[in-house]
Amino acid sequence: MSAFFEVSNLSVRIGDTTILRDINLSFREGEVTALLGHNGSGKSTLLKILARQHKPSTGNVSLQGTSFRHTGAREFARTVGYLPQHPPGTDGLTVRELVALGRYPWRGPLGRYTTEDQTLIDQAIADTGLGGFQHRAVDTLSGGERQRAWIAMLLAQQTRCLLLDEPISALDVKHQVETLRLVHRLAEQRELTVIVVLHDVDLAARFCDRLVALKGGQLIADGSPREIMDTSTLEAIYGVPMGVMERAPGQWVSYVH
Amino acid sequence: MYAESTAPSRARPALPARLATATVVLWLTALLATTLPWAGELPLTHLLSAFWTYDPEIYASVLAHFSWAPRVAMAVLIGAAFGVAGAVTQQILGNPLASPTTLGVAAGSQFGITLASLFLPGLLALSPDLPAIAGGLLAIGLVALLTWRLGFSPVTVILAGLVISFFLGAVNMAFLLLKGEWLGNLYIWGAGSLVQSNWQPFSELWPRVLVLSLLMVALIRPLQLLQLGDASASALGARVTWLRGAALLLVVLLCANVVSRVGVIGFTGLAAPVLARLLGARTLRQRLIWSTLIGSGLLLLADALAAWVSDLGDGSLVPTGTTTALIGGPVILLALQRIRNTHHMPGQDSGPSGFLPARRSLTGTAVGLGALLIALLALAMGWSPGLSGWHWTPVAQWGEAWVWRGPRLLAACLAGVALGLAGTLVQRMTRNPMGSPEMLGVSGGAALAMVVVTLAGLDVGRGGQLAAATLGAAVALGLLILLARRHRFAGNQLLLGGLALYVFMDAGLRLVVASGGTQATKLLTWMYGATWLVSETEAVALLLVLLAVGLALLAILRPLTILPLGETAASALGLAVAPARLALLLLAALLTAAATVVIGPLSFIGLVAPHLARVLGQQTVGRQLLVAAMVGAALLAVADYLARIVIYPSQLPAGLLAALVGGVYFLWGLSRHGRD
Repeated sequence: MSAFFEVSNLSVRIGDTTILRDINLSFREGEVTALLGHNGSGKSTLLKILARQHKPSTGNVSLQGTSFRHTGAREFARTVGYLPQHPPGTDGLTVRELVALGRYPWRGPLGRYTTEDQTLIDQAIADTGLGGFQHRAVDTLSGGERQRAWIAMLLAQQTRCLLLDEPISALDVKHQVETLRLVHRLAEQRELTVIVVLHDVDLAARFCDRLVALKGGQLIADGSPREIMDTSTLEAIYGVPMGVMERAPGQWVSYVH
Repeated sequence: MYAESTAPSRARPALPARLATATVVLWLTALLATTLPWAGELPLTHLLSAFWTYDPEIYASVLAHFSWAPRVAMAVLIGAAFGVAGAVTQQILGNPLASPTTLGVAAGSQFGITLASLFLPGLLALSPDLPAIAGGLLAIGLVALLTWRLGFSPVTVILAGLVISFFLGAVNMAFLLLKGEWLGNLYIWGAGSLVQSNWQPFSELWPRVLVLSLLMVALIRPLQLLQLGDASASALGARVTWLRGAALLLVVLLCANVVSRVGVIGFTGLAAPVLARLLGARTLRQRLIWSTLIGSGLLLLADALAAWVSDLGDGSLVPTGTTTALIGGPVILLALQRIRNTHHMPGQDSGPSGFLPARRSLTGTAVGLGALLIALLALAMGWSPGLSGWHWTPVAQWGEAWVWRGPRLLAACLAGVALGLAGTLVQRMTRNPMGSPEMLGVSGGAALAMVVVTLAGLDVGRGGQLAAATLGAAVALGLLILLARRHRFAGNQLLLGGLALYVFMDAGLRLVVASGGTQATKLLTWMYGATWLVSETEAVALLLVLLAVGLALLAILRPLTILPLGETAASALGLAVAPARLALLLLAALLTAAATVVIGPLSFIGLVAPHLARVLGQQTVGRQLLVAAMVGAALLAVADYLARIVIYPSQLPAGLLAALVGGVYFLWGLSRHGRD
C-alpha cells in the first residue's frame, strides 16, 4: 500500500533555532498515529507541516505521491482536515452553522449547498452525538462538546485524513477517553488516516495503531504500541526514569520512578 | 455516552424581533426628520415626486428636486455603502471595532486629496478618486505594516489605525498652517457635507457603490471562514492572505469613492454593523443585510439633524460628519459594554509583544542621555538666529534670555517628562506597545473642554483656558473610571473608552474648524502645542506637580511590575488589583493632563518615549520610567528649539513638530523592531 504522507529530509528552522532536523517518515493510509514527545520536541510543528500551515525550510512532503507544492488550497482541504490546538471563539455561530462551513472546500465561494451537503452535515452531527445541540451557539457549549463540534466540522469536510493537535489536553479524563474513542471509531467506520498529537502516552498506546516520538526535533522512536511501550524507549523519549506494565493485552500503564 | 449537563434545544435560533423593530423605528424617525421641514411648503405627494420630476413654476418644488431629493438619496446610498464596508471590515479583521474610519482609511483618502490639491491640481481635475484611493491604500498599508508583527489583535489594529489617523491629520494640519489660504475650503469639505445642488454626484456614485458592494457579497462564504481563525480557515482551503487583501482593497475603493465626493463621514461604518450585531444579527449574511439597512437609516437621520441644526443656527454650516461622530461615540461606548470577549477574538493568535530582550546598563544610558539633555538646553539657550545671522548668547546674558527662552523650554522638557512617564504607565498597564496617554482620551477630554469654550464664544484668557482644560481632563478621567470599573480597570477597555472620548473631541473640532474664523486658528494653535504661550509661573507649577507624582511613582513601582502578569497571577501574589490599577490610572491621567495644557493633545511623545527607552535597553519598569522621562524631555526640547528657529522669525507649534517627527520614528521603529 502506498504512503499517504511521505516526509523526506524535512528540516524546519525559525530564526536560528532548529525545530525539526532531517525527518524521514511515511504515514500509511487508514492508520491512526500518535505523535509523542516532550514539550518543544517539535511534534506540533511536524503536524503543522503536514497540515501545510508551516512551510518546511528544507526537504519535501508529498501527499499521495504529489508534492505539497503542486496542490491547490481547496484541493488539499478536500483531502486533509486540521484541528488547531486552540480553536478560537466562534462569535455566535451555532453548531450546525459551524459544521456547514466544513463543506466550503467542496462548494467554494459561490456553489450551492445541495441536499447531499445537508445529509453529510446531518450525518457529521449525528456521528459526534451533537443532534440535541445543533442549534445552540458553539461558545455556550462545554469544553468536550465544543471539541466534538469542531471534529464534526472536520467530518463534514469529508477528508480522508484528520490532523488533530492535542485535541484532549483541555478535557477531563472522561471526555478525553470519549473523544479518543470517537476518533478511533470514526477512523474505523470511515477508513480515515488520523495523526494526532498527544501528551498521554498510555491513552496513545490504547487508541492508536502506531506511535511516533520526537525528541529535540529528531525522530527517536517509531513503531507499534507494543514496541514503544518499553522502559528504555520511554525513558529515552521523556528523559526521566520510567517503568511500564501491561495490565491486559493492549493496555499499558506507564509510571515515573 | 454523551451525557452532558446542558439541556438540548431543538429549535433553530430565530432572528430577534427587536432587530426589525429597531430598524423600522430608525427609518421612520429618519424619514419624519427629513420631511418635516417641508410640511408647510409642499404636499407629500409632490415631495415624493421630487425624486424624478419638478414643477419649474414652484420654487419649493425646484429646490426639493435639485437639493433635497439628491441629498436624501445620497445619504441613503452612502449610509448603505458604509454599512456594507463596515460589516465586511469587521469580518476580515475579526474585530468588532474595525471600520473604514477607525482603520485610518478615511483620513488617508483625505490626506491624498490634500496633497493632490496642493501639488497636483491637474490630477484632481482628472479624477478626485485616484488620490483618494492612493491615500486610503497608503493608510491601510501603514496600519498593516505596524500590526504585522505585533499580531492582528483587535485593540492593536484599532490603535494603529488611530495612530495613522493622528499622524496623517498632523501632516494635514502642517499644510494648513503653512498654506492655510489654499486649504480653508478643503477643511469644510473634510468635515463631511452632504449638501447637493444637482443629481450628478449621486448618478456618478451609485453604480460604483453597487458594483463594489456586489463584489463584497460574492466573497461572503470565504469571509465566513475567517471567523474560525487563520489556521482553520486555511485548513478549509481559503487563501487567507489573498482573501483579506482582496476584501480590504474593495473596502478602500468603496470608502475612497465616497470620501472624494462628500468628505469624511465618520462612524457610520462603525455604528451600523455594531448596532446590527448588538441587536442580534448573528451570522455574516444577517449582519451584512441589517448593517446596510441600519447604516442608511442612521446616515439619513444624522443628515436630517445636521440640516436642522444648520437652519436653526446662525447660518453657519454644520457638516453631517459632525452629527455622525456624535452618534458614533455613544455606539462605541455601548459596544464596549456589550462586547466582552475582546481578549478572545478570532485572528488574535499572537499577543502584542515582540520586544527584544536586549539589556544595557542603566548608568551608561542615563549618563549619556543626561549629557545630551544638558547639551540641548545649552544649545537652546545660547545658539539662536537673530536679525543679523546666527550667534551665541554669552552665558552672562542667559539671565535676560531666560525670560524669553526659559519658561517655554522648561515647560516643554517637563511636558516631555510627564508624557514619557504617563506613556510607560499606560503601556505597562495595557500590555500593549501601542498604548499611549494620547489614546487614553484624557488629552481628548482636555481638548474637548477647550473646544466647548471656543464654541461658546467665551474669551476667558489663558488662565480660564487652563482651568477648562484641567476640568475637561478630570471629567474624561471620571468617565473612564466609571467605564473601567466594570472591567476592573483592565487595560484594553480603557483604551477603547479613550477612543470613544476621542471621537467626541473629533466631532467638536470639525465643527469649530468648519465654522472657520480666528477662533478656529487660535484653537488649532493650542491643539498643536504652542509652547510660547507658557508663563514662568505655569512652568514652575508643572515642575512641582511632576515632583509630587514622581514620589508617588516610587511607591507603586512594584505593583506595576506585577500587574502585567495578568489579573489572576497578580492577585495570587497578594496584590489588590483594582485599587492598584485605579492608583496607576489616576497618576497617568494627572501626568497627561499636566502635559496636555502645555503641548496639546496630539504629540506622539507618550507613544515614542517608552518605546525608545526599550530600544535603548531598559527593560524593567523602573529603568524604563526613568529613561522614558529623559527621552521625552530631550525630544520635546528639540521640538521646541526647532519650532523656534525653523521658520524664524515666525514660529511653528512645537507639538506639531513633535507629532511629525515622533510619528515618522514610530512608523519606522515599530515596524523594524518587530522584524528582528
